Amino acid sequence: MFAQFPSLLKLAGLGAALVIALLFAVFVGDQGPWYFAWVVGTVMIVLISATGAVLFEAQNNQDHDQNKETQP
Amino acid sequence: MDFINPHVVDLSRFQFAMTALYHFMFVPLTLGLTFLVAAIETVYVITGRRIYRDMAKFWGHLFAINFALGVATGLTMEFEFGTNWSMYSHFFGDMFGTPLAIEGLMAFFMESTFIGLMVFGWDRLSRPAHLAVTFLVAVGSNLSALWILIANAGMNVPTGTHFDPDTMRMQFDSFVELVFSEDAQAKFVHTSVAGYVCAAMLIMGISAFYLLRGRHRELALRSFRIATLFGLVSSVAVITLGDVLGRMDYAKQPTKIAAIEGLWHTSKPPYAPWAAFALPDDAKQENHLEIGVPFVLTPLITHSFDQPVTGMHELEDQAAPRIRSGIIAINALKRYGDSHSSTDLATFRAHEDDMGFGFLAMRHSPNQDTSAITEADLERVVKQTQPDILPNVFATFWAFRIMVALGGFFFIFFAFSTFFSLRNQLESNRWLLRIAVWAIPLPVMATEFGWVTAEAGRQPWTVFDRLPTFLSSSSHTVGYMTFSLIGFILLYSALIIAEFYLMFRYARRGPQDHTSHETPSTDPMLSGLHNAQGGRF
Repeated sequence: MFAQFPSLLKLAGLGAALVIALLFAVFVGDQGPWYFAWVVGTVMIVLISATGAVLFEAQNNQDHDQNKETQP
Repeated sequence: MDFINPHVVDLSRFQFAMTALYHFMFVPLTLGLTFLVAAIETVYVITGRRIYRDMAKFWGHLFAINFALGVATGLTMEFEFGTNWSMYSHFFGDMFGTPLAIEGLMAFFMESTFIGLMVFGWDRLSRPAHLAVTFLVAVGSNLSALWILIANAGMNVPTGTHFDPDTMRMQFDSFVELVFSEDAQAKFVHTSVAGYVCAAMLIMGISAFYLLRGRHRELALRSFRIATLFGLVSSVAVITLGDVLGRMDYAKQPTKIAAIEGLWHTSKPPYAPWAAFALPDDAKQENHLEIGVPFVLTPLITHSFDQPVTGMHELEDQAAPRIRSGIIAINALKRYGDSHSSTDLATFRAHEDDMGFGFLAMRHSPNQDTSAITEADLERVVKQTQPDILPNVFATFWAFRIMVALGGFFFIFFAFSTFFSLRNQLESNRWLLRIAVWAIPLPVMATEFGWVTAEAGRQPWTVFDRLPTFLSSSSHTVGYMTFSLIGFILLYSALIIAEFYLMFRYARRGPQDHTSHETPSTDPMLSGLHNAQGGRF
């Protein structure tokens, strides 16, 4: 049981972070809707642009594979 | 009461406008670059590809140069409130000082501490820890802007405050009301996201420069891809949030909106045209060469088809009773200062909301004393004060239009750039790359014009409807103001030369060579993604 303690602690920490995030969302969403929109929007902008880079790598790999296939 | 020399007021305004606009050249880039670097570093942490680490370091260094100049120019502005705007600081310092102090103590310290870790911590921190630091720098820099914009929102729409006739200053009632005021929220999100657009354009422009020169291709293509997506979503958001801000100003600052639209007479919905072009004449109070687009103004401002938008002539008419009431308030306040009589206090309280209009009337009163206004004089004073409630219409009208035109251009340009970047056709469309290089300064210009719209449109007030600008400055001499202005011009010119030299030198030199990184990804996640797609996208 004690061996699982670090995992349980991590789980509890993540659970606490989730509860705090929910409370934050409820409070800020109610009191400051545009602040909340900024938080969500900024995360979205960062993730969309990061996804663009991951897509770039995948396209790059595809081109590389095609080039290898066409080589004698 | 002796007035402050109007030349000193003009010089104080010019000095503050110059330093604010100069400082604001660096701020939007700082706000956006941090989150863009965080996006790049996120890719590094996810994929493990070293090129993204090099990209984050390279763009992070550009951010650091920009940040240093932003701090140096921002500090002087805070001192200016005390040196050049001491009347304003006395009147509104209780409220204005609080967010400024929080900015310095919380956000600025947080930002500065983590910048050290961000720049020097690459080999000392784990990848996730360094990413967390980069995000904390981004949040810290945006929190700095948040507190400044909360303070500015308090000037534009005073919230959570009341005037105390015993101390002759605005007293702070509610911190929560100030922080969560609609104006503060809308101002912050609009300004912050405008910064994202500036940063995206800078990275796209420098990347385009490398692609045109055939240098650092791997870094440039990836940077351009990330920045164009970052800019596209941000440009949509900044337009939407600008509309929100405009709607709020329509409710709280109708003179600003009427000036922005060059609207001298109340509009007749739904036909009311939106003036796409006009030459507003402040002296004659009319527009020359106006070209309007019908049926646009009403839905644009009111989000309806039946509500009229009040024009400046009608706003002047509405101000007349407030000016009369304000004169009563100022006279009662003066008597209360001498006598502390409850009758005078009650009279003041009954007319308190119009106090600012009484201050405006002082300029046209005999010996600048509202208590010397006779019944015969009253209507003359009111009539002369009425036009004073309006800002400079020409400056507000055109600053807004230039900002909006540039905002529209950014959206279109980001859309084209995203299209060609996603199809990997950037290098075959060199016209797009050339535009990207030349467009680097445009978003910064747009934010500057946005700032001019907001602040010129707030005139004639420093604290809207409460304290006129001509009563807000310090009682310096013209010689003192001229001397300090020359000092600022020399110092700031030296700083801008240093900034451009460092930025150009660093950008032209570019990052280390990335040809070694041009092999496809060996990262398990990307390989898995690639295989799952059958090698096709």
